[in-house]
Amino acid sequence: MCYKIGIFDEEVKFISSIKSLQEKQFSIYDVFTPYPVHEVFHLPKRKSRLPSAAYFIGLSAILATLAFLYYTAVVDWPVVYGGKPFNSFPSFIVITIVLTILAVTIGSLALFSARSKLVPGRDNTIFDHRATDDKFVIVIDTGNLDKSAAGQAENIMNGLGAVEVIDKEFENIYE
Amino acid sequence: MYNRKIRGPLVEGNKSLGQITGDVVSPLETSPGIWWSAALGLSTLATIYGIYAIYITVSKGIGTWGVNNSVGWGWEIINFVWWIGIGHAGTAFSIFLLILRQRWRTSINRAAEAMTVFAVLCAAIMPALHMGRIWLAFYIFPYPNTRGPLWVNFNSPLFWDFTAITAYLLISVSFWYLGMLPDLATIRDKTVSKIRKVVYGFFSMGWTGSSRHWIRYESLSFILGGIAAVLVVSVHSIVSTDFAVGVEPGWHTTIFPPFFVVGAIFSGFAMVMTLMVLIRRIYRLTDYITDNHMDAIARILIFISLIMGTAYLTEIFVAWYSGNEYEMFTFFHNRITGDYKIQFWGMIVCNALIPQLFWFRKMRRNWVVLLLVSLLINVGMWLERYTIIVTSLTKDFLPSNWTPYKPTFIDVGVFVGTIGLFATGVLLFMRYLPMMAISELKSVANIGSKKED
Repeated sequence: MCYKIGIFDEEVKFISSIKSLQEKQFSIYDVFTPYPVHEVFHLPKRKSRLPSAAYFIGLSAILATLAFLYYTAVVDWPVVYGGKPFNSFPSFIVITIVLTILAVTIGSLALFSARSKLVPGRDNTIFDHRATDDKFVIVIDTGNLDKSAAGQAENIMNGLGAVEVIDKEFENIYE
Repeated sequence: MYNRKIRGPLVEGNKSLGQITGDVVSPLETSPGIWWSAALGLSTLATIYGIYAIYITVSKGIGTWGVNNSVGWGWEIINFVWWIGIGHAGTAFSIFLLILRQRWRTSINRAAEAMTVFAVLCAAIMPALHMGRIWLAFYIFPYPNTRGPLWVNFNSPLFWDFTAITAYLLISVSFWYLGMLPDLATIRDKTVSKIRKVVYGFFSMGWTGSSRHWIRYESLSFILGGIAAVLVVSVHSIVSTDFAVGVEPGWHTTIFPPFFVVGAIFSGFAMVMTLMVLIRRIYRLTDYITDNHMDAIARILIFISLIMGTAYLTEIFVAWYSGNEYEMFTFFHNRITGDYKIQFWGMIVCNALIPQLFWFRKMRRNWVVLLLVSLLINVGMWLERYTIIVTSLTKDFLPSNWTPYKPTFIDVGVFVGTIGLFATGVLLFMRYLPMMAISELKSVANIGSKKED
């Protein structure tokens, strides 16, 4: 699989390249940046659904914790503490809050790890090593493009101040 | 939004992105120098003393401590509350300042989170040892057991505390690790050593900096920040209920949760200050942790110090205003003028009076003053817990219960051991992990700098 990789050293040039590539109907495979650049967050054409997932994890954690506390304190082994009712709901709230926070944290981390395919020891394909240091990288899949189109993409990026534009071939892509 | 003329640039010296990477990664790549080995040796010695004290405690029992029938809680609970308080630095710094969008936190939050993790670990040792028979510690987990099944008491603040501390530790570690992912990848791609490449590569989990990763990463940071912000106020509130639910004079008051939370953030920020003064001087990171950063922490400290002073006065006022003779006795005869008056006045001077120095700009910008005051605040916070626990327990309602309290060599050992453990953790962190959030620093590198104008 062939890719054209444009490397930029300034955020502004990088963003204007993306814009003009999109105007010319090039589909950008992915972009890599050393820090989150909000102007490119529309590229994957999808918003993160983590907030809604986290909301449902939290909701289920609340219900599960309260149900568990009710079961142990009222159904399974009721004990009178200081003459208070078995279902002493107000004092269950503390544990419910804490466990909900814990469940949301662990649950959304696990979802993040699964959806982004980030797990310890994983070797995702690195298109250019400098993307985690000081360069902004645009990757275009040239597999479906003819030579002149690929050349045009290269010219656009060069014209807008790319430090270099390289062609790379990968046998398999892990991402 | 950000006024450079008032607050100065967040990163000084017009750094390029590559320079930022280089500056943060270089302590990992170069030999740390003799001071590091010396400090590590010293902290290891302290840890060994702690391990010895824990060995004696576990093999002989907590009779080796200074606690007795009246004063059932001694140094270990003081240390527990103190460490948990220090452990609030990370959450206060990263999470509170993250959701308040205070971008000056970026050069400090990583170290604050690291501190949190080690401080909470130190704290967790204390109640575990206090159980006496630590090998039965698993009884505290609510699982279907063969003893009935008999469940734990979900109405008890002590159990809430266990839940809160466990959750806090797990959440702090998760937040810390998540924040480090992009930076571990940076080290992986930057280092020349093969071993480092493999190790950091393994832990960077295949991070590439792809826009898809960043979108989810930011979203996750805000979810965790938003939900864990509750922890900043809840953890120490729960710790305070351990006391407030008890009927001891001086403990049974409604001011305790806010009083404890504010105290925790106070000691957390003070410890961050101590660490930052040292790190920025030793590693010459004054371009990142600028004088303005230290100034900002000092301003927060003076604000919290005023709240602390108010809380101390409120406690005394309410004791008088309630007309309750036991409360009156505890505050006026036992704390202000009693056997432990040195601890009480030490607490007032260190926490409420000395930080007032930070009203002066010159003091906020003098590193010796910053270091000394931040250390004194933590001494004061330790004395505060001493005052609360020991004065109330040595002299309660019945004079026949009155017993003085003195720690033993073993008590001191457990405390010194945790300080050693904390210092060892921080030293290893400084040597092997990125001390500042590289990717976050890069995103604020231009804010307030001349480049932006």
